[in-house]
Amino acid sequence: MLTAVKNQLWVCLLSVKYNIMREMTNRFTFVTNIVFMMLNNAAFIVQWVILFKMRGEIGGYTMREIMLLWGLTASSYGLSHILFARAFTLHELIVNGKLDAYLVLPKSVLLSVMTSASEASSIGDFLYGLVVMCLFCFSVGRLFLFLLFTVTGALIMTALALLAGSLSFWFVRSEMVGVHVVNTMISFSTYPDGIFHGTARFLLYFVIPVGMAVYWPVHVMVSFDLAMFLKVVGYTVFLMAAAVYVFYRGLKRYSSGNLMEARM
Amino acid sequence: MNRTSGSAASICMKAVDGSAPWYRRGRKYIVIYRSVVMENIQYVVNIAMGFLSYFIINFVMINLWDYMYGTSGEAIAGYGKEQMIWYVMITEMIWFGARGATVARQVSTDIRNGNIVYMVNKPYYYPFYVMAKYTGEWSVQLPMYAGLAVVMGMAMVGRLPGFRAAALPAVILCVILGITINAGFKLCISLLSFWIEDAHPFQWLYDKLILVIGVIFPIEIFPEKLQPFFRLTPIYTVCYGPAKLVVDFSGEKCMEILCAQLLYVLAGGILIYLVYRKGVKKLYVNGG
Repeated sequence: MLTAVKNQLWVCLLSVKYNIMREMTNRFTFVTNIVFMMLNNAAFIVQWVILFKMRGEIGGYTMREIMLLWGLTASSYGLSHILFARAFTLHELIVNGKLDAYLVLPKSVLLSVMTSASEASSIGDFLYGLVVMCLFCFSVGRLFLFLLFTVTGALIMTALALLAGSLSFWFVRSEMVGVHVVNTMISFSTYPDGIFHGTARFLLYFVIPVGMAVYWPVHVMVSFDLAMFLKVVGYTVFLMAAAVYVFYRGLKRYSSGNLMEARM
Repeated sequence: MNRTSGSAASICMKAVDGSAPWYRRGRKYIVIYRSVVMENIQYVVNIAMGFLSYFIINFVMINLWDYMYGTSGEAIAGYGKEQMIWYVMITEMIWFGARGATVARQVSTDIRNGNIVYMVNKPYYYPFYVMAKYTGEWSVQLPMYAGLAVVMGMAMVGRLPGFRAAALPAVILCVILGITINAGFKLCISLLSFWIEDAHPFQWLYDKLILVIGVIFPIEIFPEKLQPFFRLTPIYTVCYGPAKLVVDFSGEKCMEILCAQLLYVLAGGILIYLVYRKGVKKLYVNGG
């Protein structure tokens, strides 16, 4: 059992490694993608500098916490797209009948699909988050928590994308749902939760899990709360398990296409 | 390995309709525009699906500015709360309604995968073809987003104080010119793919400059020392100008923005011509 898990993880790591090596074929493009993505994210610092000039705190957040929020969102998004980029375009594989190639592999179908692509620019997102965290609020303990919450955040985003993508097993025209769910999450997660009230706040914590992926982790990093920490970890495990369950339920409905193509 | 040059393409074009007057030569772009409009009308439901992202962004912005203005409602940089929110909604409307994959992605992709070879020898000028196609796309999208912006604004913010309906024709002209300028610069960036494989990172940076300086905030919110500099950039003509005219119209401001836009259209046109002419000479065609 343990050997099987070890082998599966090893295959996943190799898959990601080869994805990145493929992206590195053109070194200049690879490096520009990473550097410009970091600059792209950094442009938003201007927005917050301007806003904080008007008010000392926004929604209970200071500049330091906003940067932590941004850093965690960028790193989580980056990690999810480095390791599991294909989960975000799952609907394409299902609708076009391209899952066949993964079904015959001797390893887990879902992990093989998820790790079959990586985005070079996401490395820029991941690094940007780390740099921001180190520049604005570094401490060894916080760095450890940051890395841990980057993993939970990445898993929550991936699980959400998987859930939305798996809808394509039942509904053909559901691809926009996945795109919107992830975009919505990103849009909310770069603004403090304190500016939202009533239903919006409820939705952020219980429907679009921005609260679990970003807001609560930031609160824990600012002042540690064990109960909150465990809730975030528990929620991540629950959502991931739900996504895996839905994917395999949907896979039973999958019908192959007659598409023939060479995979290299 | 063959080599195709810009002169080969232009010779081909001249052979087809070189002697025709300019207005006749322009007709083919109208046909391209019309066919793209017809195509987009078939997919209005797909366009409408993009409304959710626009709604979410506006919802976030409304909450943010509600919080920033607080209960006092004191003006910020000369803008009242309603004016500020309407400003952001208009700029976001332009941003969403005129985002076109054609100028940002298709040109880069055409160059990267070699598809451009089949386009440079067609009886049209490739940059004009792209612009006609892009105009066809936003001609359908933008009015839909404008409708949504009005409905959202009236429902969530209320009437815009001091809005003058008589100024709408001038505002629409400014919006069209602003979108054209933006498309011109994005096209220039995409044409960089003739030299570098992937021009997308440059698109991101350009987009973020426009977004942070022109879309999210009006120029007046920035430090006074920076404002004259921003007024010289495309940001002033692409987003700020049209939205400013909606929230606070004045004839003098309108003339100033229109003049700046015309200058930018001219400069953008020359830039496209030069970049394309130089780029297409670097085009190598791999057999296959």
